[in-house]
Amino acid sequence: MNTLQLTLLCLVGLFVLLLPFSRRLAGSYARYTVLTLVGIVMLLPFAWLISAAFKDPAVLNEYMLLPPPGQISSKTVNLENFSELLSEKQTIQGPVSFWRYVANSLFLASTATFLTVVFSSMGGYALAKYQFRGRGPMMAFMLASMTIPGVVLLAPNFEIIWRLGWMDTYRALLIPGCVSVFGVFLYRQAMLSVPDELLEAGRIDGCSEFRIYLTLVMPLVRPMTAAYCLISFLGAWNSFLAPNIFLQTQRKLPLPVILNQYIGEYDQQYGVFLAGTLLAIIPPAILFLILQREFISGLTSGAVKQ
Amino acid sequence: MKPRRSAWFFLTPYLLVTGVFFAYPLVYATILAFYQTSGPKHRVFVGLENFTFVLTDPDFFRAVRNTVLFALASICLQLPLSLGMALLLNSKSDRTKAFFRLAIFAPNLVGQVFVGILFTMLFTPRYGMFNQLLHRLFGVGLEQDWLSEPSLVMPAVVIASLWLYVGFNMIYFLAALQNVDQSLIDAARIDGAGPSGIFWNVTRPAITPIATFVVVTSTIGSFQLFELPYILLRGTWGPNNSGLTVVGYLYQNAFEAGDLGTAAAIGWLLTFMILIIGIVQVRLSGTMRRDA
Amino acid sequence: MEFPYGKVPLAMLIVSLLSGLFLLISGRESTRERPDLVLAIFARQHAVAYVPAIAEFEKEYGVRVQLQVVSARALQSRLQASLQVGAEVPDMVELLDGTMGTFTKGPLEDVGFLDLTDRLKNEGLWHKIVESRYTKWSSRGRLFAIPHDVHPVMLVYRKDLVDELGIDVSQLTTWDAFTRVGREKVVKDLDGDGVADRYMLDLQSSGGDLRTLILQRGGGLFDPEGNVRFDDEISAQTIVWYIKQLEGADRIAYTAGWGQTLASAMKDGLVLFYFCPDWRVKQFMIDIPSMSGKLGLMPLPAWEEGGRRTSTWGGTGLAITKQCKNPDLAWKLAMHLYYQPDRLGKLYRNSYILPPLKSAWQEPEFSIREPFFGNIPMGETFAALGNEIPAETVSPFTAQASAKLQEVFANAREYYRTHGDEGLLNFVREDLKRTADSVRRMIDRNRFIKTTEARP
Repeated sequence: MNTLQLTLLCLVGLFVLLLPFSRRLAGSYARYTVLTLVGIVMLLPFAWLISAAFKDPAVLNEYMLLPPPGQISSKTVNLENFSELLSEKQTIQGPVSFWRYVANSLFLASTATFLTVVFSSMGGYALAKYQFRGRGPMMAFMLASMTIPGVVLLAPNFEIIWRLGWMDTYRALLIPGCVSVFGVFLYRQAMLSVPDELLEAGRIDGCSEFRIYLTLVMPLVRPMTAAYCLISFLGAWNSFLAPNIFLQTQRKLPLPVILNQYIGEYDQQYGVFLAGTLLAIIPPAILFLILQREFISGLTSGAVKQ
Repeated sequence: MKPRRSAWFFLTPYLLVTGVFFAYPLVYATILAFYQTSGPKHRVFVGLENFTFVLTDPDFFRAVRNTVLFALASICLQLPLSLGMALLLNSKSDRTKAFFRLAIFAPNLVGQVFVGILFTMLFTPRYGMFNQLLHRLFGVGLEQDWLSEPSLVMPAVVIASLWLYVGFNMIYFLAALQNVDQSLIDAARIDGAGPSGIFWNVTRPAITPIATFVVVTSTIGSFQLFELPYILLRGTWGPNNSGLTVVGYLYQNAFEAGDLGTAAAIGWLLTFMILIIGIVQVRLSGTMRRDA
Repeated sequence: MEFPYGKVPLAMLIVSLLSGLFLLISGRESTRERPDLVLAIFARQHAVAYVPAIAEFEKEYGVRVQLQVVSARALQSRLQASLQVGAEVPDMVELLDGTMGTFTKGPLEDVGFLDLTDRLKNEGLWHKIVESRYTKWSSRGRLFAIPHDVHPVMLVYRKDLVDELGIDVSQLTTWDAFTRVGREKVVKDLDGDGVADRYMLDLQSSGGDLRTLILQRGGGLFDPEGNVRFDDEISAQTIVWYIKQLEGADRIAYTAGWGQTLASAMKDGLVLFYFCPDWRVKQFMIDIPSMSGKLGLMPLPAWEEGGRRTSTWGGTGLAITKQCKNPDLAWKLAMHLYYQPDRLGKLYRNSYILPPLKSAWQEPEFSIREPFFGNIPMGETFAALGNEIPAETVSPFTAQASAKLQEVFANAREYYRTHGDEGLLNFVREDLKRTADSVRRMIDRNRFIKTTEARP
């Protein structure tokens, strides 16, 4: 029996010992133990990722995580992966630095997020606050359209993008994705709870319909907006298939495509890939940390109402 | 006033984008499903042949089986886990909560592509962390080649997806749990209900709408599974196509073999499946029918 | 006034504007006019060699050439989608082994690439190139891409360990001898934990090395006319052999994997012999520098005494698309990059990939001795096998056939685990027949080749 098995056994044993004395204590002990174990399982790949990113490529498989303290030296643990990643690469369109790809990704993800917030909330507003002919069928159509996977339409879309002359441009990624049905529904649900009297009051004050939407309704659904921003940003930041197919020029590519290039058909630079992944986690992680609370309360106002 | 016209004004962006990038491609794909194409110039009408081919191709059924397995695994493993984690994290004042929430949600920061490549490395026989852990914990599996063993490919995909998605759905459940009326819980407690009684009688009805929503979206998401196994298996779909999903099968036909007609037929079959399952689920739970 | 959407979208807008501005300022270059030629490739190592060669070419002809490096799968899907809908494609593309078939499913006039057969003949090069390489890039006898490589396969081995064990590799002339020595001298549980930790041969557990072995034996997925042939006895025997090397008491093989994992297996001495097509040579030198001087190379053991001692694995071809505005210039660039003997010599020193132009093998660089591999003349060693490599016919259904072959392998392996040797060969034969028939049905479904072929 090894230490790992022993530790697990001790944890279970402690629970059994606690149980006869106090159910409450045992319950709370179990809760923390389970949470801690799950937390470890979830974070272990990250621990591996971080240590692998700093390990010399030659010793990637040598140790499960970092080498034991005695064997840490510049030969086993160093910044080689990062310096390889960050070094300017000569391409036929001139030298390109890694930060260029970071900027590409930031631009794509933030723009996509902003656009989808604006246009999806407009759609949600129309469905929540106006009675008009065709609303029912329209919503049914939207619901049904959510079931069709994007890949089904990828080939025809490829032709449209090409005919529009958007090949190898960011328009090909930003415009088709600027309204999300999912977002429209989230906003519709959130806006249903906005009282109609508020809108009427706005109309009496002589506000235009767009102003009512912008200045009276949108501020009320801000928690939901924050949550939706996070979801959209994560999706756009990690999107791979579309940029991989629509973009061609090396300097225009976003991070997931660039990092995936390090895992080639004939050669794989896992260390560099992992170092890049580590850097790529930072922006969404910051966003999540800032938005944690809004994320959860915001979703409640959207999703499905009681 | 002109509320009716305003509604259409607000819907314009959606209508434009949907018209160009959804409705038109959809019609186009529908027509293609009845043709065999060779480049932009030649096409031959083949009637239902694309459909009959797909419906007699063992690979299609393998893909359907894998996809259904994955969907079942998401609903039977991932959602209960998500709910369990949410329940554990749903105490009021607790400093550690934020940390655990981040830890469990963290994989979503990385995305499917990274998770795919990460897990090809974790699943490496002998050197991969997953195998080493299995070996140290249970003394088995050190040499197990997860991604080359047909019967283990889907479990490997499920494990990777569990790691990725448990946290995401946990957030939905947490959101739902925060909406549970605390006074009802207190009342139940005064009536002498135990934790399981409270869960069943107070919490469960309150979170049913979101649970339905999560089940439906997870099912749809499962049926659209593509990037994770595509990257995890390096575009090979595993030995014996053991990790092939329906969308993967479609992608294979369209973008690797260039057979747009067959791909369109697969797309329609897939849509049909999702629609049926979605309708059944919504009917079963009977919650999403209310319309404001 | 407050931003109506709230702080987060405001932050998004600011990030978007700032990064957009940065991209705008630093992105000037991309607005230059269209280059005269666009060449898309998928192997980063090729780019290293092509960048200086292209610069030379640009100066000589006063033109601009753009090189795009795209991942192999992205390149395939983009090309496929573009050619299907008639969208713009690069002027020249390097294609991955086996993919040519997917572009030649229709009538010859619909193939998106130029027919290069006559150009190559007019250049007087047809017979100077390893002719068995043409089949990979042809359809119905017409050549649509020119071969970049030969890719003969050898075995690389841990010479130090092999010598220590007293194995004489010159005796390993057949796979029978090879497996016998493996069983007797190599496979061992060194630390006594019940799991063997030294193996003779690296074999992919997915069955990925089957094609190489079947080709060596004279078999293949398709016959030269493009008919399915993988349900023959050669495939059946090879599958059975393969399974027995990976499973059961007599196993000598282990799956060492790729990249760093492979490197670890080699360093730890977990596996002694590895398949080594010429494209792996440089990889070993880069990935596992500590192996310098400890490795040796030998030809593949033959399937029978006196049989073929090599096979082929992988390949790249260069095609010119029909949309290319200046095919003559593209052809000149193709010749410049691929078939200039003196340039090939220099390239060889950097890549150790054997070019298909046989006259180039006389260049001095091909007899340079490489200390990493125990001072053997790498070029001469691989070139000696260059003329013997088997030809592989590529069909539009190569990918499907290849998948079916692996399917049979997986089924047979499962069978072997539950039933053992008894009836294995028959099981494999039947399963091969079943899957081959399904590929035949797929081929019959193709309306284009039949209808146009029937037309005068």
